[in-house]
Amino acid sequence: MTIVAIAGNRARRILRDRISLFFLVVLPILVIVIVGAIVGGFNKFQVGVVDLDHRPLTTALVAELSHSNALDVHQYTSVETGKTALRRAEIGTLVEIPAAADARLRSGKSVAIVAFGERTNSDQQAAVAAVSSVIAAHGAIVQAATFSEARVGAPFDAQVVIAERVASGASSVTISTRSVDSKSRLLPQGYSYSAPTMLVLFVFINSLAGGAAMIRTRQLGMYERMVAAPVTPTEIVFGETVVYLAIALVQSLLIVLVGALAFGVHWGDPLAASALVIVWALVGTGAGMLAGTMFKTPEQSTSIAPTIGILLGMLGGCMWPLEIVGTTMRTIGHIAPHAWAVDAWTSLLSRGGTIGDIQRDLIVLAGFAIVLLAVATRRLRQALAP
Amino acid sequence: MSAVLVIAAKDLRQRFRDRSAIVLGFVAPLVIAALMSFAFRGTERFHISVGIVDRDHGAVATAFSDFMRSPDLKDVVTVRTFDDETSASAHVHSGAVAAAVVLPAGFSAAATTGSGVSHIDVLTNTDSALGAEVTRSLVASFVNQVNADRISVATAIAAGAPVSQLARLSADASKLRVPETVVNLPIGSKPLKAVSYYAPSMAIFFLLFAVGFTSRSFFSEVNDGMIDRIAAAPVRASSLLFGKALSVLAYGIASLATVLVVTSVFFGAEWGNPVSVAALSLAMVIAVVALTALVIALARTDRQAEGLSSIVVFGLALLGGNFVSISAAPPLMRRLALFTPNGWALRGFVDLTTGARGAGVVVQPVVAMLTFATVVGVGATLLSRRLIVR
Repeated sequence: MTIVAIAGNRARRILRDRISLFFLVVLPILVIVIVGAIVGGFNKFQVGVVDLDHRPLTTALVAELSHSNALDVHQYTSVETGKTALRRAEIGTLVEIPAAADARLRSGKSVAIVAFGERTNSDQQAAVAAVSSVIAAHGAIVQAATFSEARVGAPFDAQVVIAERVASGASSVTISTRSVDSKSRLLPQGYSYSAPTMLVLFVFINSLAGGAAMIRTRQLGMYERMVAAPVTPTEIVFGETVVYLAIALVQSLLIVLVGALAFGVHWGDPLAASALVIVWALVGTGAGMLAGTMFKTPEQSTSIAPTIGILLGMLGGCMWPLEIVGTTMRTIGHIAPHAWAVDAWTSLLSRGGTIGDIQRDLIVLAGFAIVLLAVATRRLRQALAP
Repeated sequence: MSAVLVIAAKDLRQRFRDRSAIVLGFVAPLVIAALMSFAFRGTERFHISVGIVDRDHGAVATAFSDFMRSPDLKDVVTVRTFDDETSASAHVHSGAVAAAVVLPAGFSAAATTGSGVSHIDVLTNTDSALGAEVTRSLVASFVNQVNADRISVATAIAAGAPVSQLARLSADASKLRVPETVVNLPIGSKPLKAVSYYAPSMAIFFLLFAVGFTSRSFFSEVNDGMIDRIAAAPVRASSLLFGKALSVLAYGIASLATVLVVTSVFFGAEWGNPVSVAALSLAMVIAVVALTALVIALARTDRQAEGLSSIVVFGLALLGGNFVSISAAPPLMRRLALFTPNGWALRGFVDLTTGARGAGVVVQPVVAMLTFATVVGVGATLLSRRLIVR
């Protein structure tokens, strides 16, 4: 009963604080939206197009580029604004379709289309390769229409329609892609990437920042007063643990629900996902309580907690997938419990993993939780001892 | 003037005695920038290994291998040859190569004579979508001329050319060249390195925390009676304000300068022209001073100051692009970033590091940041006047 009273009192104090609510609810959701929107475009080349001609053939070429699955096309009105976007890495290449291109193509002349990109910048060279194949395919249609117009005498535009129709059937060489595996080692793109990684990041940061509340309780002399009452240190420690755990769980649940309902995130096997959420909340609880016993002032807690949280998040693959960094960095990253949690979420979201598949991650995370909770309760009990 | 300096020096001493200010202003941005530079080392270039399985052994298949190994592609592609599809498939599966191209027997014949159909398989891996797409594009570009000639003949026949002329049409079409060619031109810019983006980005993010601890310390001084005691001395209220602003200014400049020097010397960050960098940094610090004044004017207690500044810090950092590179964000977000001083500062730093030229590169962001600081500063002054009247 005493434990419930202690936990209830602490929970009321936290929920009354609007700042805590900002960090608990508003910030994580905002970050999920923003990161999700940014990461959503990572699997396509961003391509800028300036059409200086605006005639049917060039408009058709722009449409071809836009329809390509590999490209995300942005149109610019001038070459200069396009070049600025290219320099700022907002796009991977800038395609300049010259004036009078349509007229030249119709009269059987060739047109040089410029794809801007530094030769030493392989990102840009890859984007240039991707647009080149689309332009070449469009060029093939124009070649066929010009050829046919000269042989048959029918209007050019009618020949274009015929060429487009026969194109797929007339190829000597067809290309098809075949995936050798369907199981990904990465989280899906977009919100399915940002929601689980930000859950891991924010539940941990919030728990750490929650240490500030514990320091205030200590500064207000509330622990001394509690110990003076017929309350044992064990009950106080237990009360604190329960409230930290409850907050971490509520925040996780909120992120899971918002992710599923607003952004269509499929969190995978419910049993495994629940186990992961609970174990991660326990890791957060342990870290938060440890922070509460280690930092001396609330200022230290609110300034150092986000720094540690962000650092561990980066190491553990919350800010970028550990698959893209080197092997050394990936190994070092697994010092952070975050890496194990993100690994487990990847298994659940991308590979349809079950509780058996994330067993090892859960055991490691439980180990982190036990060590953190043990050290934190020991320190808190020492502080409470008369 | 001396009162201003004394107050500024006192605030600075207090700030540096508090370890959290040192962590936020110096340690955190450096550690995070170092981590980012280490994490992204060697991953900033797009480079893929592509496997080739040549079952054809003809001239066109060899030409394809040569094309993939051409000097133009050497920065993008490394070619590995495999004896059979099983081996190539296993390497694609393990991620050792991003994709593999299987050239079937009869490929050269189909490509040169135009008779028969040849089918090229590109083996891909779920995790290298871009690598697969680049490989497919390269194959498509290579076989495009062959296909274009066939499409030309088929179109002419579909449009009414007699089938009896097929041989002549084919011969004529084989002399054609696809009329749209791609010319790759450089624009003379430097690549945007991760460390060159995240060094200023993290320096600015942690600089924003100064809004929090300065405003909080102001209220604790109010509570301790420190402000009353300073007011009792022959010191004007404006000296008090200027002294506090000067301390934030000095702290901010010291923090940004430290990150700049350390990341340039040790982590290879390129910040650009020092004068321009100084102008951008100073304008950013002035914006932080104005934001601090606004939080002090709006809050009533240290808890309120803490809350407001947290919202300001994280709100601006998220919108301005300090967490995730704004370059890759959708256009709407890039526009929203220009409502924040840190968004403008980052745009300025990106322009400098990527080699943009002209005075406008720095003037525009500096003017934008100073306008922001003026609007916020005037707002803070009006609000605090109202407080005094009350």
